[in-house]
Amino acid sequence: MSDIRNSTSGGEDYEPQLSATSTDAVGLAAGGSAGPLPGEDKSYSQGQLVARRFFRHRGALASMIVLGVVIVVAFTSIGVGPIPGWWPKGYTLQYDKIGDGAPTWEYPFGQDTGGKDYFALVMRGTQFSLIIAFSVGIISTIVGTLIGALAGFYRGWIESVLMRMTDVFIVIPLLAVAAVLGQMAGGSGILGLALVLGLVTWTGLARLVRGEVLSLRERDFVLAAQAVGTSPWRIISKHVLPNAVGVIIVSATLSISSAILLETSLSYLGFGVQPPDTSLGTLISEYQSAFTTRPWLFWWPGLMILTIALCVNFIGDGLRDAFDPRQNRNKD
Amino acid sequence: MLKFILRRISVSALVLLGASLLMFILTVNSGDPLKDLRESNDPNRDALIAERTERMRLNDSDWERYWDWLRGVGGCFTGNCDLGVTINGVDVLGLTQQAASSTLRLVTLATLLAIVVGVALGILTAIRQYSGFDYTVTFSAFLFFSLPVFWAATLLKEFAAIRYNDWIAEGQYAPLTIVIVAVVAAFLLQAVLGGTARRRLITAATVFAFVMVVLFVFNALDWWRNPMFGIGGVLVVSAAAGVLVTALVAGLRNRRALYAALTTAVVGVIAYWFTAPLLVNEPSWLLLAGLFVVAVAVSLAIGAAWGGYARKQAMLVTGITGVITSIMVVADILIAHWAGFLGIKSRPISTIGSQTPNFTGDFWERTLDAGTQILLPTVLLTLVSVATHSRYTRSSMLETLNQDYVRTARSKGLSEREVIVKHAFRNALIPITTIVAFDFAALIGGAIITEQVFGWKGMGALFQDGLAAVDPAPVMAFFLVTGIAAVLMNLLADLAYAALDPRIRR
Amino acid sequence: MTTLDISAPGSVSAAGDAVLSFEDLAVTFKTEFGDVHAVKGIDLEVRPGEVVALVGESGSGKSVTSMTALGLLPRNARVSGTIRVGDKVVGGLDGRGLRNMRGNDVAMVFQEPMTALNPVLTIGDQLTEGLQLHGIAFGKLATARAVELLTMVGIPEPERRLKQYPHELSGGQRQRVVIAMAIACDPKVIIADEPTTALDVTVQADILDLLRSLKDKLDTGILLITHNMGVVADMADRVAVMLKGDLVETGTADQVLNHPRHEYTKRLLAAVPHLGSGPGQFGDVAPVAAAPEDLPALDLGNLVIEYRRVGKPTFRAVDDVSLSVAQGEIVGLVGESGSGKSTIAKCALGLIPAASGSVSILGNDFTKMRGKELKALRRRIGVVFQDPASSLNPRLPIGDVIAEPLVVHKDGDERSRRRRVLELLDAVELPRSVYNRYPHELSGGQRQRVSIARALTLDPELLVADEPTSALDVSVQANVLKMFTALQERYKFACLFVSHDLAVIDLLAHRVVVLQNGKIVEQGPREEVLHHPREEYTQRLIAAAPVPEPLEQRRRREARHALLTQLGDDVAELRVEDDYERPTPRQDQGGNPSGLGGLMGAGGN
Repeated sequence: MSDIRNSTSGGEDYEPQLSATSTDAVGLAAGGSAGPLPGEDKSYSQGQLVARRFFRHRGALASMIVLGVVIVVAFTSIGVGPIPGWWPKGYTLQYDKIGDGAPTWEYPFGQDTGGKDYFALVMRGTQFSLIIAFSVGIISTIVGTLIGALAGFYRGWIESVLMRMTDVFIVIPLLAVAAVLGQMAGGSGILGLALVLGLVTWTGLARLVRGEVLSLRERDFVLAAQAVGTSPWRIISKHVLPNAVGVIIVSATLSISSAILLETSLSYLGFGVQPPDTSLGTLISEYQSAFTTRPWLFWWPGLMILTIALCVNFIGDGLRDAFDPRQNRNKD
Repeated sequence: MLKFILRRISVSALVLLGASLLMFILTVNSGDPLKDLRESNDPNRDALIAERTERMRLNDSDWERYWDWLRGVGGCFTGNCDLGVTINGVDVLGLTQQAASSTLRLVTLATLLAIVVGVALGILTAIRQYSGFDYTVTFSAFLFFSLPVFWAATLLKEFAAIRYNDWIAEGQYAPLTIVIVAVVAAFLLQAVLGGTARRRLITAATVFAFVMVVLFVFNALDWWRNPMFGIGGVLVVSAAAGVLVTALVAGLRNRRALYAALTTAVVGVIAYWFTAPLLVNEPSWLLLAGLFVVAVAVSLAIGAAWGGYARKQAMLVTGITGVITSIMVVADILIAHWAGFLGIKSRPISTIGSQTPNFTGDFWERTLDAGTQILLPTVLLTLVSVATHSRYTRSSMLETLNQDYVRTARSKGLSEREVIVKHAFRNALIPITTIVAFDFAALIGGAIITEQVFGWKGMGALFQDGLAAVDPAPVMAFFLVTGIAAVLMNLLADLAYAALDPRIRR
Repeated sequence: MTTLDISAPGSVSAAGDAVLSFEDLAVTFKTEFGDVHAVKGIDLEVRPGEVVALVGESGSGKSVTSMTALGLLPRNARVSGTIRVGDKVVGGLDGRGLRNMRGNDVAMVFQEPMTALNPVLTIGDQLTEGLQLHGIAFGKLATARAVELLTMVGIPEPERRLKQYPHELSGGQRQRVVIAMAIACDPKVIIADEPTTALDVTVQADILDLLRSLKDKLDTGILLITHNMGVVADMADRVAVMLKGDLVETGTADQVLNHPRHEYTKRLLAAVPHLGSGPGQFGDVAPVAAAPEDLPALDLGNLVIEYRRVGKPTFRAVDDVSLSVAQGEIVGLVGESGSGKSTIAKCALGLIPAASGSVSILGNDFTKMRGKELKALRRRIGVVFQDPASSLNPRLPIGDVIAEPLVVHKDGDERSRRRRVLELLDAVELPRSVYNRYPHELSGGQRQRVSIARALTLDPELLVADEPTSALDVSVQANVLKMFTALQERYKFACLFVSHDLAVIDLLAHRVVVLQNGKIVEQGPREEVLHHPREEYTQRLIAAAPVPEPLEQRRRREARHALLTQLGDDVAELRVEDDYERPTPRQDQGGNPSGLGGLMGAGGN
């Protein structure tokens, strides 16, 4: 391996670098010819280096596994649409209540007031919340990346429009505008809700991408591409965005976790998912008064949200560390 | 600089205007305001519909209605505000004044607390990077990020209010609880203070013993129901704060600053002694504010008198010490009134509303009531922001500590304290000002939910009820108040930015 | 490796006088990839009033060595051996002892004056804090001492400067402030880590004059860390050469620079371009082949470039510049920072619009072209940038980087592109195995070769090279320059070669253009401009450039001082009053019982 950070003329060599055999010195020792290549045995692309660093982040790795399990269980247990799952009970059927409906082996999450199996209900809510969160994440990432890249690369009016848009979101709290849009989209199901939420949550990402693009477009390799006559589209897609991918992925991850919470809040206020659909947010708001009498109805959906959001946040943190190795973990 | 501020304000005004149009159009198109009437079986249904249509001007175009609203708002500049009426014909202006004061009080308090706690935690975690303390705070921050606010609110109500109220009826800690509290406190403090293993052990042992003794003594004195602090307590705490502030800002080696801080504490306590009669009986807020200003002025004067060559530093030290001493004085009076307050209100921490209805008591008891009412919503709002601020401060601080000028400062022989307080901290604060402004908007959003959970009649309720009824006037009132608050906050952030960073001053 | 100490054996016995000494110093860093031995057991000492130059290329461990003297290494460093500063042994000091020593006994001058000063504190604050810390002066006395210090390092209006912030000062002034900070507590020894690397050559000469007078007048020892042999020749009494953590040769400046014994030193010296020696140092440059009636490869006519700034008047970076580069000709564009040389290069590449004037490439006016035409014109120009770290897209393997221009212009198919890339890799003397490597796996020199290969992919008629070797170590620079001349001879491209290094220009340019503040000062054939300059500015520039030969450099220095005097300028030197009283720390201020030292962490240093 060679030193990752290339050295400018001397002077900064007190920081430990990855390699003891700086290849410049080797090049000299070999007297003119380029010298032996560093790391002939192993070649890491940037992506492989990132993956390597990510998997060393224990919290992120554990979160990845937990989130994977949650997703798999949520979708396989009660099935999706017409496809049945392995869980024997449905979320619409009312069963005979066992006692006051507290969790038993038969009903691990307990039963709700009407005798419905709460595990099936929570899984149903989890499905909806996950679908909304990931759709919002994807939509806002695409929109934010596109607008951020255009604003940063072209400057001019696109940039001013973007900055004013951001100002609008400083002036109107996100929750307020999301509530208004949520009420408008109320009739069109969860995908409609996901779409409008995606359309209001992109500004943060766009700002970040814009900042990244602003600094990338001054880098020499972008100038070199421009000088050769590369088209703007190719510069953005081939030279700029791949180098901003760290920022984009990290922020996409975090936007998923904030979308989960936003959806929950809206549903709690009554502007989000509308019955008969169920999300984790509607479950909590429906049963929040049950806290003292039937606490399981309150705990399960809340813990589910917490688990998902926490996992996603930790994965985001792991990705940030992996993409930005400046703050290296040099434990003493 | 003035030009810069004016430009900012005019840009913000334009953004506010555009956002208000957007908000208005979206709101009036978000549903059908006549829905409840259309579904009703009332015999005079059509008359009611006609009446509401007339009142809300539903037959006019959206633009005309917006223009009408805007004209009403414009009237505020000439002294006759008109924010319209609600769907039921209630004047929105009156509603807004009430709601705004309680919401802004909540949000401002939460913002201030979040900044202080968040920045402090961020700096400590940056200095103790990769320590147990750092990991604990980091994990908690992620936990708070990931909490659904209203879910956490329910937990908080149960454990911080209902259970506490049950407990305060007795006001005694079980021995096991005391041991657990002492162990936790000992663990936390040694993690924060750090040092060698030996030093940590000593810290932990001292803290453990101290907490044990204090809690058992409190139990014996029935302190939690009849707390007292006393003028001696004020003196001890203020002097200790003075020493701590000196150590942080100027270093204990700077004797002048140290003596100035101690003088401030002593003078403050003596002043308390003399003004006590004035304070204890029914003071007014004006009197308190006046005394506070005097206290700070006197503190600064003490700093200037002692300061000598390091006058600026000494004044900073005495100023902070003076503020802390003042707070201790107020705390002392409040604590002394706690027993009386419990007599009036046996379940002190309430979970509903911004004040207890029909509460009668003297000035300090009323203050305690307002305080216990605002406690839980503030804690809730603060938690999330603290998480944001601490993470942001931490990374900003780590970035700063890697800068060349920090190395320069170390190479001069400055101690780690001076390097951090004087060289790193201020630079690390610069990017944080921007985040604070952004976070303020999120806090107001969070307040909508917090108010709903705790049954506050604030801007959140105004917004929520208005939106549910497709009623633009209250929704726009909400927007107006929060929008202007956000713009002002932004402006403050800009000013702070300019104050911190000489490179952008003009 | 063994150290060849060719200085007089008797001088070692004077170790008692040394203000700074390293005995058997070794430093190891623990990293996730295993231990890295940065310094492998070296012995070195600096005596009062002596400048010892520690020379080496990046990664040689010279800066690490210097940081051990202050005890300022990162936590993952393990230091062994003995370091003495005066009579103190650094390894034996605790946190407080170390802090007492820093600034007081040993002070540091850093490379980058832009970042070495805290941007949010005033100059006065940063100057006086060390004085107060070490108990030398307080309050008004400290301010007075700060004024005295600024006067000593030659900063005009010191009282006003004290209230200013670093960004209000120029780079040279900032470095003077850093030096003032270093001498504030009258240390026995100053460690100067590349103190002039970030500065322009004329400013560098001033700062070196200042440092020299400092050791003469205050009898301070200086450990000068540098990679620049010219600076060594100008300053050093003794020289120590480092290679990969080992000291390979020590001796007096004359011994090491004029009679090097170690292979590495010889190679290092041979790699330094020598101003005044002209072409032929690293291979011959082809004579200009073009006939006068041929179209020039690049022709700039009355070029003006402006930057618009918000809230400030427009800044004119380039003002009425006319120059042309004939086919097959290398034109050197020289100037100091801010002279507009890089701006001209970017404009010639069509990356910045011209405010007025014309830019023609082989007779086609760049400013009047659009779309396809423009793209077709662009393939006739190649470009090499300065910073090898940022000039290659980190996400693309080398093969793709070099082939990219072919892809953009839809030239050939997969196979022919690959063939062309391999051919170019041979031409720039890189092994074909780098084809699938990523830029971060290559060294700076190798990356710069890739840049050059990419520039030549489309066989351009004009190459714009913006400081292509400035970021490289000398030996690597020599190799790249050698290859560059060979390539030019082979491909006969015209070249606009932008550089601040007159020696590099001297060895390869046919013609030279000197820029100052966006205007052309002088242009003409290389021998005329560089060897017999007519303009005052060019004379100053050339006089300030150091050469790596102590005697010749002394002569040049004296000639420069004569020139400055003749032009009515001052020679930079430390201004010490006759009644200058050396500061002494007042011991009655006590130690440093800062109670929160523990709270804030001893910092592990």
